[in-house]
Amino acid sequence: MSAILPDHDAARNATGNAPLNGMGNAITAVRGATTAWAASWITAWDQFWFTPQRPHTLALIRIATGLMLLYSQAVLALRLGDFLGDEAWVNNRTIAALNRGEFGAPSAARSYLWLISSPVLLWGHHLLTMAASACLAIGFMTRFTAPLAWFLQLMLIHRLTGVLFGLDQITTMLAMYLMIAPSGAVFSVDAWLRKRLAGPIARDARLAWLFPDDSPSVMAAIATRLAQIHLCVIYLFGGLWKARGTTWWDGTAMWFAAANYEYQSLNLTWLGRFPVVFSALTHLTVFWEVFYCALVWPKLTRPLVLATAVAVHGGIALFLGMMTFGSMMIVANAIFVSPDWIARLTDRGADQRSADSSLTR
Amino acid sequence: MASVLIIGHLWAVIGRPLEFATQGPFGASPSMTRFRDPVRGYSQFAYLDHGYAFFAPEPGPSHLIRATLTQPTGTDATPTGTDATASSPSPVEPLVRNYPDLNDQWPRLLYHRHFMLAEFLNDIHHPPGEPPQEIAQNPVAIREWIQARRRYETVRDSILNRLQTAYPQATVAIDRLEHRQPGLPEFMEDNVPLDAPQLYFVLPDAPPPLPLEPLPPAPIDDSPAAESPAAESTDSETVREPEPATLGRSEAARDARPLVRPIIPRLPLRAPIEVTP
Repeated sequence: MSAILPDHDAARNATGNAPLNGMGNAITAVRGATTAWAASWITAWDQFWFTPQRPHTLALIRIATGLMLLYSQAVLALRLGDFLGDEAWVNNRTIAALNRGEFGAPSAARSYLWLISSPVLLWGHHLLTMAASACLAIGFMTRFTAPLAWFLQLMLIHRLTGVLFGLDQITTMLAMYLMIAPSGAVFSVDAWLRKRLAGPIARDARLAWLFPDDSPSVMAAIATRLAQIHLCVIYLFGGLWKARGTTWWDGTAMWFAAANYEYQSLNLTWLGRFPVVFSALTHLTVFWEVFYCALVWPKLTRPLVLATAVAVHGGIALFLGMMTFGSMMIVANAIFVSPDWIARLTDRGADQRSADSSLTR
Repeated sequence: MASVLIIGHLWAVIGRPLEFATQGPFGASPSMTRFRDPVRGYSQFAYLDHGYAFFAPEPGPSHLIRATLTQPTGTDATPTGTDATASSPSPVEPLVRNYPDLNDQWPRLLYHRHFMLAEFLNDIHHPPGEPPQEIAQNPVAIREWIQARRRYETVRDSILNRLQTAYPQATVAIDRLEHRQPGLPEFMEDNVPLDAPQLYFVLPDAPPPLPLEPLPPAPIDDSPAAESPAAESTDSETVREPEPATLGRSEAARDARPLVRPIIPRLPLRAPIEVTP
């Protein structure tokens, strides 16, 4: 983060060296300092957003997101008629009325699925949605299937008003950022095809775009930064909302979460015997969420912040019945893991495997 | 150009949480609403319009839908379609089903979808009847009042329709249930289990008619005792309103308490409390 901070020394030099012997000189000095300050911020902005990054972190997140989308859609398919069509819990007419503004302001969250009543068409569409998610997961034709998976998920989400929760927010968010980056460049069928089609790809720029390599790219950087900042916004407002509640201040919120029968998947009520522990966990959660946006950037505090994320969301996944949501929040936090580190790790693994295989030959 | 797009997107990312966080009894902060307006459509379409209030402001009670399916005497109570897993009672016994229900909805994600449906129905609940006198002169507020009730009724009727399709022979009715968590002393000292019947309450569609008592004028008291916890606890003992934190009511709901308070009869300690919307 220090690398992106503005160069205050430059601004200081601009004023310090200016001969302040008159109003005109003073204005020139102020103008110079302002220009230098603005230039340093622009440089920092460019550095932050446009320094090329490798796609390895995004590729891992792509696999997890694609699999979770696929799982979520497969679960819906178990009772598709309950969620889509004219006889769903929230039927087509109701969902259209809700979003078209019959009961308040209209929403731009439109979906053509409101208009489809035929079970055959709904099934066909759902299978296509699942196929796109599967392609995203395995990284097949990712340049096309990632935007397609995001769009189809969006249409599904806008039809499912009333049964959505945090899982849908986080998977749709990740799918959006994955589609703008070459997230299929590694750990994917595309990467395998790139090796197989090395000759034609070298000659054809369109094929090279379709099957990108894993070199650093600006789009990977932008996608990573957007996802990082989005995650910071989620935690900041999550923390601020908790700070409005009484139980998050008096330390009992963790108890009331543990004692919620409908959420509970593993019994956590034994925490009740340790008020010091559950109240400390309550305070830690609020502190961590509010300050996540500041503490996740310095290299010194980042491991601690990410370890807390794993603990908090792991707890939600195991004890509060939201394995899907908890897992995806951990996956989303992986966006702060350096792609170079993952690349080194996988390259070392590949080298090791290659050395092992040459020894056994 | 890329920077402009990035800023526009971040605007949409931050717009809704800001608007949502600044909601009060009279709606969102006008400045935050205006701030979000230019990117409202984009944030809605791209599904960025969330407040991110997970388990907040309190980890409150759960809400369920209880469906009562009454079969005419002598008819077959066997449900059709996806609800065929339900147990069939004798023809005269009404079949009662709760949503969500771990015995019926598996895997867990399917259960959670039904859980969210029940929470959604509760969130949008709006009582029936004429708008209150306080907004009689405000046509916008009256329109919103009527729309809010219509929205609830439309979603409720859609749910009823779904149940009617699954149980074509039955007469279908649904209730909203609130399931509050036991407080720590209840659980640890009185051994009240998490699913004890006394923790479930049927939420009435309309608030029960209660005799109203005008609030006395607020005393002007600058003494420190006026802000002490003891003073608060004395008041709560007199009125016997449930602890907001215990029930997990939202801050907005507390802020929206009426200017006249209902006279609530004294209840035995930890007795079930009828929660009015």
